[in-house]
Amino acid sequence: MESLIELKVDRVLDDSATDTRIVVLSRSDEPTEYLMIWIGASEGEAIRRALDGLLTPRPMSHDLIKNMGEHLGIKTTRVVLTDVKHNTYFATVHLEAKGVTRTIDARPSDAIALALRCQAPVYATPDVWKRRSGQNLEAWLNKIESKPLET
Amino acid sequence: MISQMYVKGLMFDPYNNAYIVILRDETQSEMLPIWIGKPEASAISLAMEHISPPRPMTHDFMKAYLDAANAKVISVVITDLNENTYFAKIHLMHGDSEYTVDSRPSDAIALALRTEAPIFVNESVIKKQGSEELAQWLENLKPDDFGKLDS
Repeated sequence: MESLIELKVDRVLDDSATDTRIVVLSRSDEPTEYLMIWIGASEGEAIRRALDGLLTPRPMSHDLIKNMGEHLGIKTTRVVLTDVKHNTYFATVHLEAKGVTRTIDARPSDAIALALRCQAPVYATPDVWKRRSGQNLEAWLNKIESKPLET
Repeated sequence: MISQMYVKGLMFDPYNNAYIVILRDETQSEMLPIWIGKPEASAISLAMEHISPPRPMTHDFMKAYLDAANAKVISVVITDLNENTYFAKIHLMHGDSEYTVDSRPSDAIALALRTEAPIFVNESVIKKQGSEELAQWLENLKPDDFGKLDS
């Protein structure tokens, strides 16, 4: 099996036409190569808050998952983008609890929002990387602009 | 004192552009409206209508995360109301130990509905919740406002 490609969460863009967000990931070893995933607004904001290090007065959904993990001694070890079908990306979250490792199915948005809060690395399989959208990031950036999060 | 309450309905509050989840006790003598955000309302609505989206939504992921670690949600408790912000606790069982995690009521309710955990409310919250304000609010309600989510 080819080795996984480590990714960095670069930024979150607004797609104002559809009120969705685009999470932009880049290769850790090749920061000018991107992968873009369309995600929901609330998940996008959850990722953006983590990137910006913003704390909310009350725990938001992904903070809650992280807090539950901390209480229970569950460690989020990594997130892997495993597949893409008809523009839908699939992810798995790898956990370690009491010495046992588990893998759970997740949307990339939830997986990434949690990974950023737990300092867990994010990977893509070589196949997903090959079939990604995002090569034309520059074209996208010309069309949409990333607005700072209003809190 | 705490009372067990049930999710009675979910409605839109056009004045505040927010959603309200309505809890009721078994005898229908007490009612507690909680103002929540749109993504959390959607998470509660999916669970109330037993809709399984093709991909796990955030609270489905939260449940899968706890399942993977063999942690069980025992109950959730709406514990306090402070300047219109509600506080909740999620009680978890993991191994032989019980853990309590701070949460927003919306996340706690969305998780309780998915794990069939009971929802409790501290009596002080029901008292504090300002019956005058509620009476006024109810006066302005039309039957249509409840929509099809009311059961």
